[in-house]
Amino acid sequence: MLMNKQQLSRIMSACSLPLLEEITYKIEQEQKVQVEREPQTSLVMTKTKDSVSSQPFYLGEVLVTECTASVHGQFGIGIVVGRKPIRAYCMAVIDAAHNAGLPLLDQYGSQFHAEEQRIQETHALEYARNAQSQVHFNTMEEYNDKR
Amino acid sequence: MGYVAVTGGQKAIEAANRLNQWYRIKDAEHSLETTEIAKQLRHLTDRVMSEGGLYAPEYAALAIKQAEGDLCEAAFLMRAYRSTLERNYESEVIDPGQMRVIRRISSAFKDIPGGQMLGPTMDYTHRLLNFALENENAQALKNLLKEQIPELNADQPLSFPKVAGLLREQGLLFPPKSSGVLFDITRDKLTFPAPRSAKLQILARGETGAMTALAYSSMRGHITNHPTIGELRVGYTELTIAYPLDSNESLCLGEIMLTEIETINAFERDDQGDVKLRLGYGLTFGQNETKAIAMAILEQGLETKGSIPSQDEEFVLLHVDSIEANGFVSHLKLPHYITFQSKLDVLRQTQKIAESEKKEMRKE
Repeated sequence: MLMNKQQLSRIMSACSLPLLEEITYKIEQEQKVQVEREPQTSLVMTKTKDSVSSQPFYLGEVLVTECTASVHGQFGIGIVVGRKPIRAYCMAVIDAAHNAGLPLLDQYGSQFHAEEQRIQETHALEYARNAQSQVHFNTMEEYNDKR
Repeated sequence: MGYVAVTGGQKAIEAANRLNQWYRIKDAEHSLETTEIAKQLRHLTDRVMSEGGLYAPEYAALAIKQAEGDLCEAAFLMRAYRSTLERNYESEVIDPGQMRVIRRISSAFKDIPGGQMLGPTMDYTHRLLNFALENENAQALKNLLKEQIPELNADQPLSFPKVAGLLREQGLLFPPKSSGVLFDITRDKLTFPAPRSAKLQILARGETGAMTALAYSSMRGHITNHPTIGELRVGYTELTIAYPLDSNESLCLGEIMLTEIETINAFERDDQGDVKLRLGYGLTFGQNETKAIAMAILEQGLETKGSIPSQDEEFVLLHVDSIEANGFVSHLKLPHYITFQSKLDVLRQTQKIAESEKKEMRKE
């Protein structure tokens, strides 16, 4: 599965939970999975930059759920925005399996790509829905000409 | 007169807590679902998250329910809750320029790259009570809106360049200036003059009403402080952190909604004598447009010298926090028996002295 961490975590943070649970269950059946740190809520401080000074500042904190698991001694980390202990756990196990280089994940490559596609389509649909409120300006002369 | 410290009231407090529950639920047919608050009272939830300084829509909804809609109390609950959690990570720098926008307008330019998109807004609705909402069929409405499927354009970019970037390219804006240290008001003690990063952090979690009032006072009293909105954008931004097991990689944790404002302020001369525009900046959690505009006005006011209240750094930064202001004003409800008795003692003593002085004068 040729995906970097960012791409994989982007998909896992928004994809269907049953898919993550199915993959996690398979890993648990075939490998030795250990929870190193139970899912728990914590904070991530958001750093951003303002466009006036181009310097960073802290906007505020975001509630996340994080979990650490290991598969065959290889650690994996799952962190997701919100209170989502099951998703965080699944993400940690899959990440650990990814780090362990398990061939199992290759079987799910196409499903991950399909999920990625579905997420992008959801975003595109949301944009298109909002784009219906796009403003098409006319000058008053143009407006009066049309009447 | 000696003072007698008193204790007690525990049973009364317990009863008062029970009465809170009673008055919250006594006339209700069902308990409010927090998901209903989070999903249908978006602006309320966004405001509590923003003023609480904690992005957590489900918990903001819970705080609103617990506080029975008292926003200051709800923001206080959020602030108190966050203090119980570990903070293990700091995000990579978020760039709102990469925002997946749902709303984007400019009051300065009619034509902006990508066009203006009103998105979800009440700016152009009639302020008439909609009695149809009393008997709304949510599912029927949802189905109706779902049927209005827009045309999908797969190649459509979902993020757009900033308007200010275009002005900057044309050399019309003051160049970014270095602003010193990255300050964290939740960890470091604030001193004045405050670094720019501290000012922005305080304003980002300031109380909407207080900030709006101060920004209004600035604009109403001083016509030259009337900015133009170069760009307002609302949308989703990815939250990423460095991967804890390998800092060369990043983890995407999901998306958060932000409102960003760039105001174009007065013309000013730079060091070379060229006339350029000055920007104001506002950024908040959630869709909080009025607060973000107020933030941009106030932060720009604090960058310029002047005698109006909104240009006084200490005055603005020490009074816009909901928890501090609300806490200080409401603490007056708590018992002040000893301090008040002390005041009465001083008054009686003063009267006694005045009386004896009068007697002395009569004798003379």
